[in-house]
Amino acid sequence: MSERDPGDALPAAVAEAVVETRRRPSIVWLIPLIAALVGGFVAWRTFSERGPEITIRFATADGLEAGKTKVEYKSVELGVVEEIRLADDLSHVVCRARMVNGAEEYLREGTRFWVVRARVAGGQVSGLGTIFSGATIGLDPVREGKPTREFQGLETPPVVTIDEPGRHFVLHSYHAGAVDVGAPVFFRRIRVGQVVASELDPSGDFVEIQIFVDAPHDERIHAGTRFWNASGVDFSMSADGVSVDTESLVSILVGGISFETPERDGGDRAAEGAVFPLYENRAATQREIYTEKTEWIVYFDQSVRGLVPGSPVEFRGIRVGQVRDVRLELDPEQKNLRIPVVLEIEPQRFGDMHLPPDERRQRLDALVARGMRAQLKSGNLLTGQLTVALDIYEDAEPAEIVWQQPYPVFPTIPTPLEEITAGLTSLVKRLEQIPFERIGADLSASLVAARASLEQAERTLASTSSLVAPDSALSQDLRRALYELTDAARSLGLAADQIERDPSSVIFGRGEQ
Amino acid sequence: MTTSPATALAASCATCHDCHLLCRLPGTPGHGVRCPRCGAPLHARKPRSLERTTALVLAAALCYVPANVLPIMTVTSLGKAQSDTIMSGVVYLLLHGMWPLAVVVFTASVFVPVLKILILAFLLISVRRGSSWRPAERTRLYRITEAIGRWSMVDIFVVTILVALVRLGSLATIQAETGAVFFGAVVVLTMLAAEAFDPRLLWDRSAARRT
Repeated sequence: MSERDPGDALPAAVAEAVVETRRRPSIVWLIPLIAALVGGFVAWRTFSERGPEITIRFATADGLEAGKTKVEYKSVELGVVEEIRLADDLSHVVCRARMVNGAEEYLREGTRFWVVRARVAGGQVSGLGTIFSGATIGLDPVREGKPTREFQGLETPPVVTIDEPGRHFVLHSYHAGAVDVGAPVFFRRIRVGQVVASELDPSGDFVEIQIFVDAPHDERIHAGTRFWNASGVDFSMSADGVSVDTESLVSILVGGISFETPERDGGDRAAEGAVFPLYENRAATQREIYTEKTEWIVYFDQSVRGLVPGSPVEFRGIRVGQVRDVRLELDPEQKNLRIPVVLEIEPQRFGDMHLPPDERRQRLDALVARGMRAQLKSGNLLTGQLTVALDIYEDAEPAEIVWQQPYPVFPTIPTPLEEITAGLTSLVKRLEQIPFERIGADLSASLVAARASLEQAERTLASTSSLVAPDSALSQDLRRALYELTDAARSLGLAADQIERDPSSVIFGRGEQ
Repeated sequence: MTTSPATALAASCATCHDCHLLCRLPGTPGHGVRCPRCGAPLHARKPRSLERTTALVLAAALCYVPANVLPIMTVTSLGKAQSDTIMSGVVYLLLHGMWPLAVVVFTASVFVPVLKILILAFLLISVRRGSSWRPAERTRLYRITEAIGRWSMVDIFVVTILVALVRLGSLATIQAETGAVFFGAVVVLTMLAAEAFDPRLLWDRSAARRT
């Protein structure tokens, strides 16, 4: 070994060469590399899947659980509630939820959140699955609007979510009736929509009911469509008997709205958000199809006893409106009391639905110029109700409409001899009811019968007289009978004398004396 | 520790890893040194022990983070899915009063892997820096690491058994999640790292110091 080592011959001071061992890095380093790569990938994926963080405010956290409650849309998980805490002023709870990646698109100002719990509303049961799985937070995504991360949660789930095809309409009603949120909307007794909201108008004058009609039934709603409250049961009695009208059992319980579009003048298709009146019942829709009303004032100088708000206004017997108010006011100029009657006329009844106001005025002026006047007429003799009758009186004194505020004044003509006419008419009617012809016929028939009786009597008398004539057989026989009767009486007298004188003769007979 | 006894390395000898035959090593280090009896490769020390151990410990440390952050299993019961990480499981057990079980799970699944990684890291650093500080204690640490390594697999066993057993359709289902994979990787990597580490290195320096 020593001969192979030349270093032995060298002095000890010679420096030793450094043996550089080129060591390639061990393959074992691949393991941390792979671990780093996989870990990094998983971290990146997890991080990239993390969506935005949002806060939702609810009135109560009932059923919500941090780390478990999910935010779902169509049962697809879109996020998880991470933290629930009370608001600083303790008025509500704040839920912090982590959404999934890609949810940013739906987190707009119009996006609604609500807690999905099992509940019964509008005749429907919803959210049964949450009994076992716990409450979830529902989401109604909206794609338009300003992106936001702060939301106010709804206390009740929205009846209609944004993805449902259909249209909203607004109904104005005097009162909400039995129509609650979630109540069904019927068309020919088929459920085609539901009530979305029901709230008082800010003015407080009416209730604004929002309904949602599902596609394709929303196409059935036109400008002339009439909605009515289908809640409960309609009883009506008529000549045909009693009829009961109801939409469905559900509508009896939770209320409902029905609608119908008239065959003609249905109008164009109604746009989203169109406003309609809500009628009390179906009959009301058929009665009150005229939405436009103009008000007029008429002055009567005579008694308006029997004229009440609601009395009909008729044109030649056709109802065109009604009396809205009857007042009494002092006429300052003439120092007189006068009676203004406010009429509510439905101009659409005249067919001038789409005329501009000016033209309508001209037409009315022309009608008045021709003699159109208002007049009081008795509507019912029995109750004494009056109606306001409009008619054209060709010979009326010239008058014109006074276009003034608040109501234009319509000219009237007094009702001369109205009552007398009416009384006479009724008298004549009653007279007419007497059956003179029949009386005549009966009378002549009676006369004929009487004559026959007289003849009979005559004949009887004649035969009687012939019976009692002196030379008649009867009288002869009578006379002879009388003679014989006389003889018999005389013999009886003789016999009596004989017995008196000799009573034994009764036994022994007359002796030989 | 008072004297430094002769080591096989100092005498240019090595024991075979497999049959433990004492062999004299050739003067020039090189490849292809084999045990004359059983034919296994002969090394005076485990080859590249520090390098391998470092790499494995690093990998285990890297895997430890996702193993704890990601859920290890998802329990779907009556339509309600719930994912649990190791720590949330421990918290769940604690909240439900099962604190002995919580202690077991915490020790086996959280504490032990951390302990192993830290011990190995400490040993590696001390060896690299040529420290001769208390080699006996450090060796004891190494023994602990080797001994407790396998117990961390308890979690993985539980998950696998649950996943296999709880298959009740929509009533209840349990699925293993990514966290379990990482957790298994941590346990396996630390065991491999402990295996790759040569405890004799702990003594080499102190022996070198004294000579």
